[in-house]
Amino acid sequence: MKKELESLFIYSLVLALVSKIAIGLGLGKWAIKKFDLTPWMIEGLPWLFIALMAVCVYLLSRAGMNSKGTAQKGYSGYIIGWAIAALLCFVLWDFSDAFADLDIEFEFGESSLLLRFANYVGHGLLLLVTGLFAFGNILGLQTAAIFAIFTAAVVVIAQTREEDEPAGKIEKIIAQNIVAKIAAVPMIMTALGVFVGCTIWTIFYSFTKSGLLPKANFVGLDQYERLWDTSRWIISIKNLAIYGVCSMILSLLIGFILAALLDQKIRFENTFRTILLYPFALSFIVTGLVWQWILNPEFGIQKIVRDLGFESFTFDPLYNPDIVIFGILIAGLWQGTGLIMCLMLAGLRGIDEDIWKAARVDGIPMWKTYLKIVIPMMRPVFITTLVLIASGIVRVYDLVVAQTNGGPGISSEVPAKYVYDYMFGAQNLGQGFAASTVMLLAVLVIIIPWAYLEFGGRRQND
Amino acid sequence: MSDVSVSVKNLDLNFGSVEVLKDLNLDIHHGEFLVLLGPSGCGKSTLLNCLAGLLDVSGGQIHISGKNVTWSEPKDRGIGMVFQSYALYPQMTVRGNLEFGLKNQKLPKDEIEKRVARAADILQIQELLNRKPAALSGGQRQRVAIGRALVRDVDVFLFDEPLSNLDAKLRSELRVELKRLHNQLANTMIYVTHDQIEALTLADRIAIMRGGYIQQLADPMTVYNKPSNLFVAGFIGSPAMSMIDGEIQNGGTSFSFKGHSVTLSGYEANGEVHDGKAILGVRPEHVSIESTAQAGKTLEATLDIIEPLGSNTLLWFNVDGVIISALVPSELSYKSGQTYHLGLDISKASLFDAASEQRL
Repeated sequence: MKKELESLFIYSLVLALVSKIAIGLGLGKWAIKKFDLTPWMIEGLPWLFIALMAVCVYLLSRAGMNSKGTAQKGYSGYIIGWAIAALLCFVLWDFSDAFADLDIEFEFGESSLLLRFANYVGHGLLLLVTGLFAFGNILGLQTAAIFAIFTAAVVVIAQTREEDEPAGKIEKIIAQNIVAKIAAVPMIMTALGVFVGCTIWTIFYSFTKSGLLPKANFVGLDQYERLWDTSRWIISIKNLAIYGVCSMILSLLIGFILAALLDQKIRFENTFRTILLYPFALSFIVTGLVWQWILNPEFGIQKIVRDLGFESFTFDPLYNPDIVIFGILIAGLWQGTGLIMCLMLAGLRGIDEDIWKAARVDGIPMWKTYLKIVIPMMRPVFITTLVLIASGIVRVYDLVVAQTNGGPGISSEVPAKYVYDYMFGAQNLGQGFAASTVMLLAVLVIIIPWAYLEFGGRRQND
Repeated sequence: MSDVSVSVKNLDLNFGSVEVLKDLNLDIHHGEFLVLLGPSGCGKSTLLNCLAGLLDVSGGQIHISGKNVTWSEPKDRGIGMVFQSYALYPQMTVRGNLEFGLKNQKLPKDEIEKRVARAADILQIQELLNRKPAALSGGQRQRVAIGRALVRDVDVFLFDEPLSNLDAKLRSELRVELKRLHNQLANTMIYVTHDQIEALTLADRIAIMRGGYIQQLADPMTVYNKPSNLFVAGFIGSPAMSMIDGEIQNGGTSFSFKGHSVTLSGYEANGEVHDGKAILGVRPEHVSIESTAQAGKTLEATLDIIEPLGSNTLLWFNVDGVIISALVPSELSYKSGQTYHLGLDISKASLFDAASEQRL
């Protein structure tokens, strides 16, 4: 009996939170419209589950009535803590409700330095207050109710649990090791809210006709059809493919060769390492601008070689639509290989020196030692670098903006730029969301089989 | 001359301005088991790496099997080497590890298989051949590492502290196996260790090194009984030799310290023994406990600490501030704080000059 009640309590808690999040995502309004419901039926859903939790706690107290449990000392702290949390949520919610309709506007006129300073401080304070209200709305009445029930649950546990009885499910969730759990809450909130929540939100609105603002007017797969009919998107995908394959292979190759060269116990290793890693300290924007100048035919490499006497020499990748992506690739490699080299170097340093000696005694040539022995031993380093390079490829954006801004024409467009331009430039959120969903799908297609091989297969072996 | 397998002539090695090996000469016979023994930093591993060709020498010559190999690549020297950390190739199976070097030499397939089978048979690792090194225990890994040297079919084996990474029990097991292997193969083996038990049990000859010099090169019993200098005497033997600072008097016939005196009759000196400051070294097992005092033969000593070692008991005596230890059968019982008469077996003791620290 007790076990079933505890399970019911936990499921109700989960359902209350899920329904709350779903309503927050706008699913509630959509359901009201679609199925012609009255609003309270949806908005009351979390309350229903919270009420169920309360019933569970009451029944639990009844079930444990006969046991001669003694209130254990440690539980008073939990009771006070949860009660304070419930009270705080309630107060915050109350205040934020009262201020919810306030429209706050900022206007700074011409004024003295002192007045401007006061304005800034006031501005900051106002932001803080509005932020608090927003927070209060999140920690609303329902959260307050949940925390209040937690308090009641702890009271029940403290009153009915015998000392030698093992801890139940509820106790494990809301009383045991609570400090660690509270510390993990921000991380869980971020992961759920930012990654899962926003991803679902994006996918959801990619099926709508949203323009400047997200609107839940569904158009099915129209946005995707339009996306694949747009030549700019097709070019973006092609460019990303070329950039991705070349960047992956060349980064690994150049990074490893540089690391292997640096690993030969040479002098001034630190100096070389610093020089090679230095580009990584520059942002993509700076990198892009630098290489825009270097590759500029008017005063870059082409000009220098022509001045040396080779009049017909031509090297202007950024102005030739056919090879412009390679101009961007050069800059990307220049910026990124230093880091890869450093990681590879660390991996090489992790190889036991005796392995090298053994290979020399066995008479294995150096290139073969690298290929057959050292590189397989460096598998973890290679996986790390692959993930780093791959994430760098998918998000390539600022380099293109700084170097060519997608030109000449649209010949150096990339998907990330397409998404940004449609979402914030063309005020077509639906199209941007559709493009970013396709990017997500592409990444998942690569990541899921890899993760399965890397983590799923391992379990069977061990 | 034909008996010499490995010969080192006037070998010098410098790391920058640091001289690690200085004018080192060493001849190793065919089928000999030579142990290079010494504390860390004495240059023993460095010497081995020079022999293997993993370090370039600064001067001198190395001959292996009558060939000058001073500047040859390791693979052309006719050596096999075993490392402390095993240095197996982790992503290959045991068979792969054994074959890899041979495949690289482009040996015919049946020859490779024959050699691998033979090595696996000798080392009893047949059932491990298809496993990866990660699935092996430390002792098995080291056996595979020895196998990798074995399949090279060479005259000289080099061991660089091969047993140091193993626990005590496995170490003693593999020690016996190594000795058996040497008896079976009759190859020249050069073995680096800092463990004197390994050195004493395995070696035909031990070369004790310090600071880049060979201090003594002799068979284990000579090294143990007649250490050539104070360092060797102190380094070899566990429990360690007791050292007594004193003076030789009466024309080389007696040794006195702190008012005590023992006659030196029965001591086999290298040359003539003159009066002067000296150090007398006595191993604990050469100290006996006598029932009566004899002038010039026994010393009055207070028993300080008793250490039972199982089969024997180690007694620590104090003779006016000089510590002397004695090894006695554990059946006999002694009481700390009491006074006993110690008899020193001078014929098995060692006498060193205080200034040169050389054996007298």
